[in-house]
Amino acid sequence: MNNKVDLTPEAAVRAVMRDILGLSEEQVAEFTAETELFGALPELDSMAVAGLLTELEDRLDIMIEDDEVDGELFETFGNLVAFAEMKVTE
Amino acid sequence: MTSVPAFVDYEFAVRRELCLCTASGSSRRVLLVPPLFDEMNRMRKMLVDVMHALELEDVGSYLPDLPGTNESLAAPEQITLSDWQRAIQACAQQHAISHVASFRGGALAVAAMPEASHWIFSPVKGATILRTMMRTRVAADREAGRNTSLAELTEEAAAGPIELAGNMLGPALFAQLNGADIPYMARQRIVRLASDSKPADGQIPGSALWLRAEPDDDPTLSTAIARDIAGWIGQ
Repeated sequence: MNNKVDLTPEAAVRAVMRDILGLSEEQVAEFTAETELFGALPELDSMAVAGLLTELEDRLDIMIEDDEVDGELFETFGNLVAFAEMKVTE
Repeated sequence: MTSVPAFVDYEFAVRRELCLCTASGSSRRVLLVPPLFDEMNRMRKMLVDVMHALELEDVGSYLPDLPGTNESLAAPEQITLSDWQRAIQACAQQHAISHVASFRGGALAVAAMPEASHWIFSPVKGATILRTMMRTRVAADREAGRNTSLAELTEEAAAGPIELAGNMLGPALFAQLNGADIPYMARQRIVRLASDSKPADGQIPGSALWLRAEPDDDPTLSTAIARDIAGWIGQ
């Protein structure tokens, strides 16, 4: 078995976005803190967001509560990364 | 050239359930256990591509409908995880298959077969599947102007059948899934995507089709899966 490699929160968010949107490594590398997500990316519907939250929990070993999730969280890539960084230090 | 997959069946709980099948004449055969719920729909095309690719490797494959899913006439809200485990066991016995390849949540449906050889792709805990489905329901409720929480849905699911992301789950299935961990088999090979950092016996290229908004295929992934399974079965 290979050893588990710990991901930084930003790398985890980037990897999940890549998986959910079916993007290439290069495409997702272009995401910046200002990149708009929910509303700007049609693939990111509410079902995809549900999968995204569970994947982040799984990959970063965190738990995300209902009341922590609001529309603002998915406005930009930067918001999501900041949230993930905050959760792993809790 | 590969043949057109045919439907055969297997008997479970006085019903005949369908099973898609290729090259049943081959002495090397594998049972493919599909992912659960929406992940099954998103990966079915990819799994049928795996069947074609396996045929080119001279491996016959069987892709059964789990009772209560796909073409099955069993009532979904009455199905339990134990039913799925016994159905997979029955299908393998009736078609004399000793190798089982399960995908994602499908790995939870092979627990009744400790004696078989298991190839397991990107397995997932039952609680993780339920969490995503409940979140989808919370989002749908919110769009309809209702506020629900994961805790409320968990309570509702214990009391009676619950609709989550377009699926009806009875209390027994919900409870069993919620406690279902990835089984550990005596003879197993765990395979994950190259991009996945979790422990694995093998890694293959491809994309996580189960996370996509729409069903899709991925020839890189289906070919890599078929080659890995064929190598694992051996000659």
